Amino acid sequence: MTDPRMNDHEIEALFAAARAERAEPSAALMARIMDDAMIAAAEAAAPRPVAARPVAAQTGRRGLVAVLVAAIGGWPALAGVATAGVFGLWIGYAGPGDVGTLTATILGSAYGPNDLVPSLDTYLTEG
Amino acid sequence: MPFDAADQDTDEALLLAYGRGDARAARVLTLRLAPWVLAYARRLLRDAAEAEDVAQEAMLRLWRIAPDWRTGEAKVTTWLYRVVTNLCTDRLRRRRRGAALDEVPEPADDSPGAETRLQQAARVAALDAALARLPDRQRQAVILRHIEGLSNPEIAAILEIGTEAVESLTARGKRALAQALAGRREELGFDDD
Repeated sequence: MTDPRMNDHEIEALFAAARAERAEPSAALMARIMDDAMIAAAEAAAPRPVAARPVAAQTGRRGLVAVLVAAIGGWPALAGVATAGVFGLWIGYAGPGDVGTLTATILGSAYGPNDLVPSLDTYLTEG
Repeated sequence: MPFDAADQDTDEALLLAYGRGDARAARVLTLRLAPWVLAYARRLLRDAAEAEDVAQEAMLRLWRIAPDWRTGEAKVTTWLYRVVTNLCTDRLRRRRRGAALDEVPEPADDSPGAETRLQQAARVAALDAALARLPDRQRQAVILRHIEGLSNPEIAAILEIGTEAVESLTARGKRALAQALAGRREELGFDDD
């Protein structure tokens, strides 16, 4: 009777099968990762948040800027504003002609605009 | 084509360029790194949705460290593998605390492909199931060595252990796999000859 355990050669065949099976990330995930990249770039470009200081230090005298920032929702809101600014600048720089070009610029030609939005077919199909 | 030049750059050069505000560098890094980050997370977690979360979180950490990245200290891929490994370890610990080890059933491959494709799928499923039963460190070392194809020194840097410990982990891991898969040789298409 032969040894039921797998030999190295056979286990290597299993590893090879695992290496070959590599699911590609969805366009939605790639888009989320790129969104994060743009937001992180904007955060890095924005001034260091005051929140890094101890909370007690903030409660005393507040400057005009701090009041204005607080009025629009604090530094996170400013990060959003900065994101929009950076992204706008980048769009101007990259100069994409239309949405298709923009998508190709961000994600490469393997993805199209249709990959970024859920298909309406799901809602239109009867059954 | 203005965007092709960046494809030739190293990961580190691209990361530094992104840190200086180059959006094209982020695109190239995403296309280059996200697929294997996701694949590695999937193999460790055996859960597609959780693996996507981990991939996004690991890439976010990469974006955030970009402005402070120290040139020449670590390879970008080594750093990312370490982040993914740690994120997955945390999730697996939480999963075990919450419930018994989640035995995620492998999706059945009922596509009308060739028989070899079904057999490959069966082999991957059997391997994944056997890997899931290994202790965390053994599983990580075996995956990094035999599926991701990394060298022992690279794995040592990722797992923050010595090279000899890596060799020991992979050797014990492979023995445990051979044991766990005992009796399934014929089923997985390994005929005695």
